[in-house]
Amino acid sequence: MKISDREVDLALINGMESADGGGVSFGNELMHFSEAIAKRDEESITSSREVLSEVAGAEAVVEAAAVAANFQRMVRIADSIGIPLDQSNVSFTADIRGQLDLGRFHSAKNSGLDT
Amino acid sequence: MTAFNYESVTLPIREDLKGAYRDFWNTLAKPGTWWSGAERVAIAQESRNAIICDFCRRRKNALSPYQVVGEHSTGSLLGLPASCLSDAAIDAVHRVVTDQSRITQSYIDGLDAEGITNEKYVELVGVVVTCFSIDEFNRALGLPLEPLPLAQTGKPTGYRPPLLARDVGFVPMVPPEGAVNKESDLWGKVAPNVLRALSLVPDEVRSWIKVASVQYVMGDLLNFAADTGRAIDRAQMELVAGRVSAINECFY
Repeated sequence: MKISDREVDLALINGMESADGGGVSFGNELMHFSEAIAKRDEESITSSREVLSEVAGAEAVVEAAAVAANFQRMVRIADSIGIPLDQSNVSFTADIRGQLDLGRFHSAKNSGLDT
Repeated sequence: MTAFNYESVTLPIREDLKGAYRDFWNTLAKPGTWWSGAERVAIAQESRNAIICDFCRRRKNALSPYQVVGEHSTGSLLGLPASCLSDAAIDAVHRVVTDQSRITQSYIDGLDAEGITNEKYVELVGVVVTCFSIDEFNRALGLPLEPLPLAQTGKPTGYRPPLLARDVGFVPMVPPEGAVNKESDLWGKVAPNVLRALSLVPDEVRSWIKVASVQYVMGDLLNFAADTGRAIDRAQMELVAGRVSAINECFY
């Protein structure tokens, strides 16, 4: 998918490694670190953090941890309150939602867009 | 000792992160809008207990959350003092942490019958998610969790925004045009649902936004060329956000 004149491989979002990090610097390493945090797998958190630190540096590790922590919160706000996708985002995110097959998620029904 | 000083940590943790976490800890200890300081700290403790709760693990793996019966890991089961929270409140905290995507309107309505009003539920969610995100930051970096603060005495304010609507989601919210007067700081011209979600208890919106503004960078999420001012760029941030959201099966 092309975003801001940049090609990115959305397969990373679904946990699939991509050549050259899918167009994102250290994309594969960031994907693995994020995945480990969200899955609450301590061993994977440690190993993926070390790998990310080696290639991207300690500052990148801290920032990635902060963003992951932020979204551990955001998803719980959205689903605990059952908010739907904002109407203004429904049409422009249709392509991304389709590529990622997001309609399979239980909480898609809060937006009436479950498949 | 000052909370979140990260003194023995060699990682380059920004001062604004430490400050925001510290501010939240201070807020956590005080009486909130509908819960006392002791209850808010107990809610935070339950958000930690949920991570190691065997009942939550079994329930998460069940086809329906109502197929499994059991008892949450809390209080004496974990060698801790008994919680001051009701069973319904403990269950709500554990669900928000471990099985949030299967929370429904009927579950929220059932809580109301157990004395967890919509207002109390919203504040509970706010405390859980903000505490949880701070804990997750520490866990991600392999750091011990910050000891919870000592609760302060006093009464909750009981403040309820005068302008409310029940248009989306499971609970009433301040309507998009309702960010006026005491609520004027909640959002600007645009009111995305995620900002409105906890607005039945405006202080909970303020709390999570303060933490979010240092953990993440708001702005044009699709402008991958924009300078984030951080050690990772916008594309990297959105990759992390997307992968975490996908594993949590979050549609929003």
